[in-house]
Amino acid sequence: MQKQVNEILAQARSEPPNILQALLVLQEKLGHVPLEAVPEIAHTLGTTTAQVAGVLSYYPDLRVTAPGRHLIRICMGESCFANGCGRLLREVQDRLRIDMGETAAGGKVTLDTMSCAGNCAVSPTVIIDRDLYGRVLPSQLDAMLERYK
Amino acid sequence: MSMATRLFLSNDTSARAAGAGPVADAWSDRPEVQLIRTSSRGAFFLEPMVERDSPDGRLAWFNVTPQDLPLILSGTGGTPVRSIPFLAQQTRFTFADFGETEPLALDEYQARGGLQGLETALRRTPDAIIEELRVSQLRGRGGAAFPVWNKWKVAQQAKADEKYVVANADEGDAGTYCDRMILEGDPFRLLEGMLICARAIGANRGYVYCRQEYPAAAATLRAAIHKADEAELLDLDGEFFPIEVVEGAGSYVCGEETALLESLEGKRGVVRARPPYPAQAGLFGRPTIVSNVLTFATIPNILSRGGAWHAALGTEQSRGTMALQLGGRVKQPGLVEVSFGLSLRQVLDQFGGGMAPGARFKAVQVGGPLGSLFPASQLDIPICYEAFAEAGAVLGHGGIVVYDHQTDMVDLARHFMAFTAHESCGKCTPCRIGSVRGREILERIQAGSGTVDDLVLLADLGETMKVASLCALGGRAPYPVLTAIEHFPAEFRNRLRT
Ligand SMILES: Cc1cc2nc3c(=O)[nH]c(=O)nc-3n(C[C@H](O)[C@H](O)[C@H](O)COP(=O)(O)O)c2cc1C
Ligand code: SF4
Ligand code: FES
Repeated sequence: MQKQVNEILAQARSEPPNILQALLVLQEKLGHVPLEAVPEIAHTLGTTTAQVAGVLSYYPDLRVTAPGRHLIRICMGESCFANGCGRLLREVQDRLRIDMGETAAGGKVTLDTMSCAGNCAVSPTVIIDRDLYGRVLPSQLDAMLERYK
Repeated sequence: MSMATRLFLSNDTSARAAGAGPVADAWSDRPEVQLIRTSSRGAFFLEPMVERDSPDGRLAWFNVTPQDLPLILSGTGGTPVRSIPFLAQQTRFTFADFGETEPLALDEYQARGGLQGLETALRRTPDAIIEELRVSQLRGRGGAAFPVWNKWKVAQQAKADEKYVVANADEGDAGTYCDRMILEGDPFRLLEGMLICARAIGANRGYVYCRQEYPAAAATLRAAIHKADEAELLDLDGEFFPIEVVEGAGSYVCGEETALLESLEGKRGVVRARPPYPAQAGLFGRPTIVSNVLTFATIPNILSRGGAWHAALGTEQSRGTMALQLGGRVKQPGLVEVSFGLSLRQVLDQFGGGMAPGARFKAVQVGGPLGSLFPASQLDIPICYEAFAEAGAVLGHGGIVVYDHQTDMVDLARHFMAFTAHESCGKCTPCRIGSVRGREILERIQAGSGTVDDLVLLADLGETMKVASLCALGGRAPYPVLTAIEHFPAEFRNRLRT
């Protein structure tokens, strides 16, 4: 792990070192930022573990655990709220039997919310991995989730 | 052999979400079609919209599916774009070319008047550029509505080894998407605005802080920067002016300019106390102009057409046009660029087209998560900064979200407070503690165990947050909650424990 972290960070070096961008690169490559790598990251960036841990805990998108193979994000922004995202969230939770922020058994899918995808005019919005779906109806959920089996 | 017919289809994220992707896939290998992927006109209720040239200007087909191809190729059933009321009633300047051009076609951008603002700026002194902006009376479109020229003057006069220009592409207000449309659809307009600013203040380097939720925007912008570099546009008085796209990590408060700068430096996105203002001491302590994407994109026209042109549009204290973004339960959600001054009702009726089928109006929220709610009785308010300030409301970034009769106001109020509690940066107590207490009170009321005292407490808490918070997140967060209680008191009272 130490070697891998170092290799990744070597490619993302900047002057002065940028903790957030370093963590984002690590997450991009590893899927998450392992907590046990924090001292090594701090050492490589020439900063303290407290600084790195502080940044890591601050940003909602930084994960310290591996996400499922698929990441489902349901927009909870106001336009989606007005268009029934609450019901979508409940139905997805029922189908997958998981709570927000949780990963389903078997590590298949992680469910999360987000606060706006900028797709408000074609809402409600659901994003699965890199695919964005608009005007999502509860009746379409089964077919949609089927694609990410 | 007959020539392939040129068909135009938007590649905007929301056009794709509406179904443009399958249309493009189905037609991509049809020899009779030359498909051109454009920006979107913003009439999202009509997307996917396919257009073709005609003697009458562009003809459009609405809500197209792959099966509509024969119809479109035969030329039957198309509507002249200039007769679509949603578009025809708008006053488009910043968004004039949307739906017409390919986002990365620099030659097309230039052919339609792009880069003329920059050319003008390059011929002028920094003082003369700033004077043009003073005359224009342009105010920032990111939320705070501060006069643009004023910030530029401060940054210009500051002495420093380096200065920076930062475009705020965090677009955190739910219900807003005009920055995303610009980034994806007309990226050179943003770059041109940033270059004009750099030239005026003497900046060495530019950044675009783009929210992580906008991957297509970041990719398009990076490609545009590359093209601009190849065309040697990133050159100011012989000096290379690099522009870098930096992505955020899902924090709303990082849209606040000082938190944004902390985040750009790679730190926790915590709000800085002001003064000093970023224009005096911003990124790495250097003078920095942080401005919204829409603000920058408005500037090229001001330089090429003149400040007086801009000042002639709008109302006394709100000059120019505003990009309003309709969402929620309106029949016709989409982008509306109009001069300031129309009433909220006119916007909802003329452009929104009334309510979505089966929906009855309950309230409309203007200005994102920090904006107030308006009931049906208050829709005559003109859309301009001065009228909103007088009403204790904000236009923010122009988001307009309509709620229908099924909306549970207690649930909505709880949703707002939960959002603030989640997004508070924690720097000041009224917001950090207040938002959590506020959320707890609303959860109690929602669960049926709240009391009259809880409503009083919530009102007190809201007043404290308004006056004592360090930034507008804590300072404005009470507004949607308190206006919900003000306009729909029965819904809250009926949920109280008796
Ligand atoms: C909590 C909070 C979030 C904000 N989010 C944004 C944002 O996403 N985009 C933006 O341009 N301005 C945002 N602002 C306003 C910025 O602080 C700043 O005023 C703006 O970027 C200045 O640009 P302008 O002068 O062009 O409006 C936010 C402010 C606050 C308090
Ligand atoms: S009001 Fe909230 S977000 Fe703003 S500085 Fe205070 S704690 Fe941070
Ligand atoms: S509110 Fe959901 S996409 Fe904007």
